[in-house]
Amino acid sequence: MKQENIRNFSIIAHIDHGKSTLADRLLEETGALDKREIKEQTLDSMDIERERGITIKLNAVELTYPFEGETYVLHLIDTPGHVDFSYEVSRSLAACEGALLVVDAAQGIEAQTLANLYLALEHDLVIIPVINKIDLPNADVEKVKKELIDTVGFTEDEFILTSAKTGEGIRDLLKAIIERIPSPKGDPNGKLQALVFDSYFDPYRGVVASCRIVNGTISLSDRILMMETGAVYDVVELGVTTPREVKKNSLQAGDVGYLAASIKDIRDVRVGDTITLESCPCEKPLPGYQPMKSMVFCGLFPIDSSRFEDLREALEKLKLNDASLVFEPETSEALGFGFRTGFLGLLHMEIIEERIEREFGIEIIATSPSVVYEVELTDHSVLLVDSPSKLPDRQKIYEIREPYIQTNIFTPSEYIGPIMELCQNKRGTYVGMDYIDATRVNIHYHLPLSEIVYDFFDRLKSYTKGYASFDYDLIGYRASSLVKMDILLNGEVVDALSTIVHKDFAYARGKTVVENLKELIPRQMFEVPIQASIGSKVIARTDIKALRKNVLAKCYGGDITRKRKLLEKQKEGKKRMKQIGSVEVPQEAFLAVLKMEDDNGKSGK
Amino acid sequence: MVKSGYVHIPFCRHLCSYCDFAKFYYNETWAESYLDALEKEIKETYRGEVLDTLYLGGGTPSALSFPLFSRLFTILSSLRRSPSLEFTVECNIESITREKLACMKEHGVNRLSIGVESSHSDRLRFLGRTYIKEEVRETIALVKEMGFTNINVDLIYALPNETLEELEEDLSFLLSLEVPHLSTYSLMIEDHTKLFLKGYHEIDDSLDATMYQMIHDRLVSSGYQHYEISNFAKEGYASRHNLTYWRNQEYYGFGLGASGYLLGVRYTNTRSLTQYVRGERNPIIEKMTPQLDMENEIMLGFRMMEGISKERFRAKFGKDFKERYQSLPLWKEPVIEETETSYRISYSYWYVLNEILVHFIGE
Repeated sequence: MKQENIRNFSIIAHIDHGKSTLADRLLEETGALDKREIKEQTLDSMDIERERGITIKLNAVELTYPFEGETYVLHLIDTPGHVDFSYEVSRSLAACEGALLVVDAAQGIEAQTLANLYLALEHDLVIIPVINKIDLPNADVEKVKKELIDTVGFTEDEFILTSAKTGEGIRDLLKAIIERIPSPKGDPNGKLQALVFDSYFDPYRGVVASCRIVNGTISLSDRILMMETGAVYDVVELGVTTPREVKKNSLQAGDVGYLAASIKDIRDVRVGDTITLESCPCEKPLPGYQPMKSMVFCGLFPIDSSRFEDLREALEKLKLNDASLVFEPETSEALGFGFRTGFLGLLHMEIIEERIEREFGIEIIATSPSVVYEVELTDHSVLLVDSPSKLPDRQKIYEIREPYIQTNIFTPSEYIGPIMELCQNKRGTYVGMDYIDATRVNIHYHLPLSEIVYDFFDRLKSYTKGYASFDYDLIGYRASSLVKMDILLNGEVVDALSTIVHKDFAYARGKTVVENLKELIPRQMFEVPIQASIGSKVIARTDIKALRKNVLAKCYGGDITRKRKLLEKQKEGKKRMKQIGSVEVPQEAFLAVLKMEDDNGKSGK
Repeated sequence: MVKSGYVHIPFCRHLCSYCDFAKFYYNETWAESYLDALEKEIKETYRGEVLDTLYLGGGTPSALSFPLFSRLFTILSSLRRSPSLEFTVECNIESITREKLACMKEHGVNRLSIGVESSHSDRLRFLGRTYIKEEVRETIALVKEMGFTNINVDLIYALPNETLEELEEDLSFLLSLEVPHLSTYSLMIEDHTKLFLKGYHEIDDSLDATMYQMIHDRLVSSGYQHYEISNFAKEGYASRHNLTYWRNQEYYGFGLGASGYLLGVRYTNTRSLTQYVRGERNPIIEKMTPQLDMENEIMLGFRMMEGISKERFRAKFGKDFKERYQSLPLWKEPVIEETETSYRISYSYWYVLNEILVHFIGE
């Protein structure tokens, strides 16, 4: 394949704006798959992706398309749409020369799309604006065009109008891809530089790495060197995904494909690493990726404590194609051995938890999420704290700083009032507001990240009937009056339930937590006081009244076996509880602290 | 050494709405075949031990027609008895007659257990009983007149909508009968009973527990010992037969659906009447392992005020109870009390005994 006939591109779109359907249509139009073969939304291969209608893991597909007498190879590299995954977006964008910006003709551009668009512009990609779903009765193409012209600066003649549903405009789109997106540069005869942008573990082939060949050529049985890890392997298999895997003898500059080399140790292949030839290495690695810093941390513990090692293995396998996932062993007095795990955001956290349970079959308890705090001690040394249990004694703390974000909240203007109220309640400071057009506005607030860790998304959705979209940028750390709030059951601190909260909100949150726990923890033999405390000061308290009756009165005419059976049944029910001190706590209790509502002490669920 | 025997008579003249024991409407022909089968079982399984307690339960043993009732005692006369035999028969108000009382007296019965259940007519009807409290008074008078002194009466409390005042009245009534043993049972709505099928539910646990406390206070202050979860007795009148169960000792179980414990094996006969009369007892068998046996010792022993005997525990299982269970979170607050000779549950935790027992079973 001639290098000038290759086009590498990705699709940027908001959830539900039709990215996956559009991708399916491209596959169909180029003959990669026929209609029958297209399981709806082929690119979203994980169950969770299909169920949630979002793309999490990037996939690359090679399409061939004849155009004006030439055959072109198009590499479609998928990107996740959610802000939590912007790290993965930057990975896929680094493997491309162009991107399609897909916007729903009825809904206009959304905050997260804009964030990803800016990422693409940073990578100097050619952007093709695509207005999709033009078949919808409420499509307003002119309005969306104007919006895109005003906010991004496109010109009138750049727009491609499509309906992924009916297939309208797909050929125009393919034409634009070929005509506007530049072919990859890079020298097929140069020293090999291949960027690993994704990888996964295959039980038969070991680690399979997706790569973009930037310079040089790679062939079967080449001895390759991973520049970052220093690992050396012999190439066993090369190929492209069409989306069926097609084996190749070599891949050269501009190609996007996969590579297998009997790599058993998943740690040897890092996403973002550069692959070169051992015999003839390139001078320096490609820029790779700046892994995004994990922003949200929580403890993950196997419910069955004997599965600790399985959990480690699961996390290692997930980390293989998700470098942003970080974890280290953590011990909780209450929950035993587990991992403190860092995520890019809340959705990322949920997805990882779900994948562990589904793909690896390990039931886990997640503790309440925390952000990373900067703690300046009285000796002015600075400590990063990602878990309430690691917070030093109050006497040793000079100041605690927490991460702040600036929001982009895109909303129809009638919801400005409720959104501002929400942000104020979340300790926000108002920064400003940009009108996108007469009816839509982008609201900027500075908010502590920890406040959105709880229920900000849910509230925003319910305040605006789902019309607002939300995205944020980290703007650094600010000092706050934060305190560690402990939860005591029967007078003993349960480490897994501790949280770091703002002083002014501590009372309300403490009250909600103890009330929620009261609902979730069954009555015990003793009255169990549940307290929320800051240091030694109790700020909220409630009691689980003692269980009053659990006895077998009857004699059953000496039928002892029947009595035992009843007790064994009760015992079975208790197995799903964690014994913490003398109190039996059901698993849900740890999750429930997570789903906390904290304004005015009302319970959100 | 087996020293106790239970004999089950599975016939009733009326079916009580709460009962889930093996029982059938009384039918003379069936009852006759049943006694044949019972006789056969005793002949085949009884190995001649001298028994110290005998307990005739049901069903309603007194529901048998007089000729069969009389024959039953003849059958039972093949069981050898110690001079101090405690021989209990369950009776109900509806079927006790002077004639039957005389027959029992003649055959060595020296303890009667009478289901009274309530002093309120509407409550009795709810439970499926057909007498009123005046008849109870007359029957108890008759029983005493016939020379029975060791008498138990049953009370059922925690009926739907029952008030504390009603319970108070029931207790006053029971005390006025002046009998030395009282059993009180909180109403359990078991599967397959009439009450269950009609959709009744047990009352709130908290009220139930309050009632239990009220019963305890009233009966203890009237001179009864609360010697087991559900049982109260004047000094010297504790049921020796039931103590056999609670002390985890062996006993015969004769009859339909009867449970026994012999030579380290617990068994329960079939609950099918047709099978039983054909002589097919098809017992469900559970062989006691040392662990199971120890768990049963605890499960049963903790029901009693006397608790688990230190000496018996050590003799049977070769270890000290406290050492064995030192790690359980039950010692700090005195859930388990140590006496000179035993370990027992503090009274205030009796009504949540299951919560304690789950720590010991199925380890």
